[in-house]
Amino acid sequence: MAKTILTVDDSGSLRAMVAFSLKAAGYQVVEAVDGQDGLSKAKEKTVDLVLTDQNMPIMDGLTLIRQLRGLGSYQKVPILMLTTESSDEMKAKGKAAGANGWLVKPFDPKRLIEVVQKVIG
Amino acid sequence: MNIIPVQALKQLLTGVSGHGNQHLSEVEADLQQTALLLGEAIETLSASFNAIHAAVAAQQLALDELLAAQGVQAEAAQPLRQLREEIGAQVGAAITAMQFQDMTSQLIGRMLKRIDGLRDLLAPLENGQTAMPHADEHEALSLLLHNMHERVRDKSQALNGGLRQSVKQQHMASGDVELF
Repeated sequence: MAKTILTVDDSGSLRAMVAFSLKAAGYQVVEAVDGQDGLSKAKEKTVDLVLTDQNMPIMDGLTLIRQLRGLGSYQKVPILMLTTESSDEMKAKGKAAGANGWLVKPFDPKRLIEVVQKVIG
Repeated sequence: MNIIPVQALKQLLTGVSGHGNQHLSEVEADLQQTALLLGEAIETLSASFNAIHAAVAAQQLALDELLAAQGVQAEAAQPLRQLREEIGAQVGAAITAMQFQDMTSQLIGRMLKRIDGLRDLLAPLENGQTAMPHADEHEALSLLLHNMHERVRDKSQALNGGLRQSVKQQHMASGDVELF
């Protein structure tokens, strides 16, 4: 059965490209438009991996990660940040919040799939 | 020493504020139009990209079936395999490049916030007109400039503090990956 990945980003075009790349590699994709939407969709169905942006309206990526890590079902689910942010300070905040990795935009689809496969197979 | 009359200075500052606001509105409108055009462009590009990809995938499938039906040797089909790999690489490059809109919209959003802040920053120049006491010209002038300087400085600091730079990319090559 195909693994499910939740992609959270307020940019519709970015979500579409992430979904295109993941689906082409055989993954199921659930999309969310911001952290709040992501949290809501994550609660509906536990996914195998969360790929989230940082800067979003309503709820940002770091807050989403902290909220997810507070849920019993998401304590061990891999969470990757996919963001334009590239500073060491932000990466440290992501790691402290519970992120398992940091991908700086723009992403290369081949590289994205390699990372996803490494994290969830 | 000649001192500029306070009333004339107020008029000058009000003029600076008015013209500044007018130009900021023009820049704001241009940026909003740019964001609109970029948004429409990425929608069209994405739709065309998906349609081309679907067509190429169908074509490749049809070719595979044709080659199998004709009993074509694997070696003879090698050029087609190379073309398929080349198409795959170009699709990947296109996906990376099409992420421009996500970054430009963040940059434009930051510029629009700065314009709002600049408009707010110019306001003390205009507002100074009503805040002035009619006292000695020199004393009044000093007070006017001192008050304006402080308000402009405070608003400028607040503006800088509220506008963090989240997009530092200078080109469209793919970014770093780090697993913790």
